[in-house]
Amino acid sequence: MIKASAFILATTLLASCQNAEELKSEQYFVEGYQLYTTNCSNCHQADGKGMSNLYPPLVGSPALSNKALISCVIKNGMKDTILVNGKVFKRPMPANPKLTEIEIAEIVSFVTMKWGTDSTYTKIETVQSALQDCKIY
Amino acid sequence: MKLNCKTSLLNITILSIALVSLFSCGSDNKLPILGERDWVKKTVDGKEVVDTIYNTIPAFSFVNQQGDTVSEKIVEGKIYVTDFFFTTCPTICPVMKRQMIKVFQQFKGNPEVMILSHTIDPEHDTPQVLNKFAKDLGIEGTQWQFLTGPKDKIYKIGQESYMSTAKEDKSAEGGYIHSGAFILVDKEKHVRGMYDGTTEEGTQKLIADMRRLLDEYKK
Repeated sequence: MIKASAFILATTLLASCQNAEELKSEQYFVEGYQLYTTNCSNCHQADGKGMSNLYPPLVGSPALSNKALISCVIKNGMKDTILVNGKVFKRPMPANPKLTEIEIAEIVSFVTMKWGTDSTYTKIETVQSALQDCKIY
Repeated sequence: MKLNCKTSLLNITILSIALVSLFSCGSDNKLPILGERDWVKKTVDGKEVVDTIYNTIPAFSFVNQQGDTVSEKIVEGKIYVTDFFFTTCPTICPVMKRQMIKVFQQFKGNPEVMILSHTIDPEHDTPQVLNKFAKDLGIEGTQWQFLTGPKDKIYKIGQESYMSTAKEDKSAEGGYIHSGAFILVDKEKHVRGMYDGTTEEGTQKLIADMRRLLDEYKK
């Protein structure tokens, strides 16, 4: 009897724990979507496909699997040439100094879940440690 | 309550009909001529008459994306759409260019239609930079001209003739502020419409009005 209760308690805790994580993923996704719309979609477009040869797509970009790179580029911008889906893009991307760490985490969560392979959100700690150690891209 | 709703709806309907007929009456449903007007008195056949002088786009001289100096002659016998932008603009310009592509595609190859996009950052946006920008945007040929020139001349024609804000502002993102307007100009160089180039509604309204304006010349 005690064993059974303990089992139920444990599974309940586990389930609610999972739900909390799922909820957080959804929150980050929704917040990230709004921030993306305001700060990124002018160039990268609402569908993430970029714009002709001017602005690179996010869909299919190898950068989506490199969270340190995305975090740093969002914050500091980018000057280097980038190759996406066989096309070369050379225009600089402006920095977004006003975005906070949590906002960057939300944007990273949105783009990696929407167009990358992630199924859960990106933690603020991941962004924090990436930003402490940014290369110049 | 229901009755009230109906009555006010009816009133609105009547009002709308009245307004529509007011505008369509006597004007053949033509687009308005926008901008400041002036009146002069003239003597015609011994009688004094008042003539209206409309806001007219003056002569200009700019350099296009092919490095050619162009003047108002390039739009002779054409209607055209104009806007102001700069190639490094992170805010509304990409949206405006995406919308302008739609306008371009609707009238591509039409010898009566042209597009003039002026840069407001001529120090950076040289003809070479504009050429690359146009190509990257997927625009070939000269039906869509990307123009650069002396900064004061661009700002002056923008503010005084096209009634569009275009100026430097260090506090703005990207360093410049400018309106997101698409401006429609007729063959007589009168401004016939201003549209929000950052929205789909504005763009569709412009395309519809361009067709209307072209129709005015068919008679």
